[in-house]
Amino acid sequence: MQDEGIRERVENTIVDVLKVDSTDLGGDQRIREDLGADSLDSVTLVMALEDEFGGSINDNDAKSLATVGDVIAYISRRVEEKALA
Amino acid sequence: MNRRRVVVTGIGMISPLGTSAPECWSALMAGRSAVAAVPPEWCRYAETASTIWAPLPPIDWPALGIGRIEQMQLDTSGMLTIAASSEAIRDAGIGTASADAKKNTFRLEGPPPDRCGVFMGTGVGGITPFVGNLANHVMSPLIGDVSDPSILPPMPPRFNPYAVPSMMPNAVSALLGIRWSLYGPNLTFAQACAAGTVAVGHAFRAIAAGSVDMALCGGAEYLRDPYGGIFRGFDIARTLAAEGSDPQRANRPFDRDRTGFLFAEGGAAVLVCEEAEAARRRGARAYAEIVGYAETFDGYSIMSMEPSGTRINDMVAAAVQDAGCVPGDIDYVNAHGTGTAVNDEIESSVIERLFGATPLVTATKSLTGHCIGASGGIEAAVTALSLAHQATHACHNLEHPIRDLRFVREAGPCRIETAVTQSFAFGGHNAAVVMKRIS
Repeated sequence: MQDEGIRERVENTIVDVLKVDSTDLGGDQRIREDLGADSLDSVTLVMALEDEFGGSINDNDAKSLATVGDVIAYISRRVEEKALA
Repeated sequence: MNRRRVVVTGIGMISPLGTSAPECWSALMAGRSAVAAVPPEWCRYAETASTIWAPLPPIDWPALGIGRIEQMQLDTSGMLTIAASSEAIRDAGIGTASADAKKNTFRLEGPPPDRCGVFMGTGVGGITPFVGNLANHVMSPLIGDVSDPSILPPMPPRFNPYAVPSMMPNAVSALLGIRWSLYGPNLTFAQACAAGTVAVGHAFRAIAAGSVDMALCGGAEYLRDPYGGIFRGFDIARTLAAEGSDPQRANRPFDRDRTGFLFAEGGAAVLVCEEAEAARRRGARAYAEIVGYAETFDGYSIMSMEPSGTRINDMVAAAVQDAGCVPGDIDYVNAHGTGTAVNDEIESSVIERLFGATPLVTATKSLTGHCIGASGGIEAAVTALSLAHQATHACHNLEHPIRDLRFVREAGPCRIETAVTQSFAFGGHNAAVVMKRIS
């Protein structure tokens, strides 16, 4: 089960990086195609998530995160594993 | 061709004395310096001869328009530059409108953006993120190899994807061109301790010659790395002030008992310069008019000033001539005034030779410490403020002057019509800007 606090922190980070409206965010939205992230934005998002949650996100994991829901699920799992805070 | 007139209409400044130009000016006039012990963690790596520096005050970056994402992407010298430019533009009364909310960029309401240039100086650019990224690069593979990773020095948690743009020295200029959507010449000057003065001088020349109508110019620097290695570089060259019995009195340019300069954590100053007629048309208030500039090169040593001061003498004389003045017209000199034995000796000798004991002489570094590439910008800003306020700060801690010049011993009102601000740099670069009071 996903923690609402984690979802909110992930969404706030996405809003900060991509300057999208938080009310537009939904789990199925694709970060590149729907939210307009370019490759630099994607790198920045990973860096911002690392900053927000501590720890590190490796490149392979980062490449697998296509949607907002993917990111929330991934971060939730890593927090549960205590790899992120 | 007639040279166009150039005025300073906006000033932004962050230094060890404050996070805005008014704060810095108040501290200067009150004689409040910024001296503190160096960060204790630096002692782990080396025992340095100097143990004091001038740290920056705490900075609330979001309040200065720099959010957490930009803080991850930019070197502090870049953030200082952007913050100082925001203050300068606001101070100049130039309106702004959002250009791209996602990129946090703006357009200026004023001259066409292709008629606006950026001329910034920096000594080393983004050296601190470079040091951090290199530490991460070298030490990360060791974490699994050492039995106790906590013995490794602290390092940034990641190798930053923005390692290159945060490191490159031209970032301080590029960031301003991007932030404010300015498409004219965008230049970075890297003449070490003279970089800011050179940048202001070249902005003046570009406006005077008609190649741009407005310029953001000045200097920026940030020199705190996690290990104190940059500080050590200056310390090992024996250029820094010794703590002595009273650290608050250790930084004393032009004093018999000087021992070196006070290393500053960093700073930035940005001046808005405009073609005078255009500034007048838009009803801008001007602090001062820039009327002359010159530069020479010692061609002598990468670290030491040429002992006779001939090229400095030639340079200051040329700047005064460029301003259409004679040496007797100069009534204020904002000296380079670092507090090193050789620098102050040569500089005071040149001032005496050219101007005698007529002009007021002060050293802003006696209060701010030495902000390296930012110092010329800071001192140009202080010179413009001194002309506007008809007041000067003192040459702090000066008790036994090394020469019989008219050093400013107490801050206060004074009459200044024409002022020189001058800088000299490792490498041998000499530069001076001449400014006049707005009549």
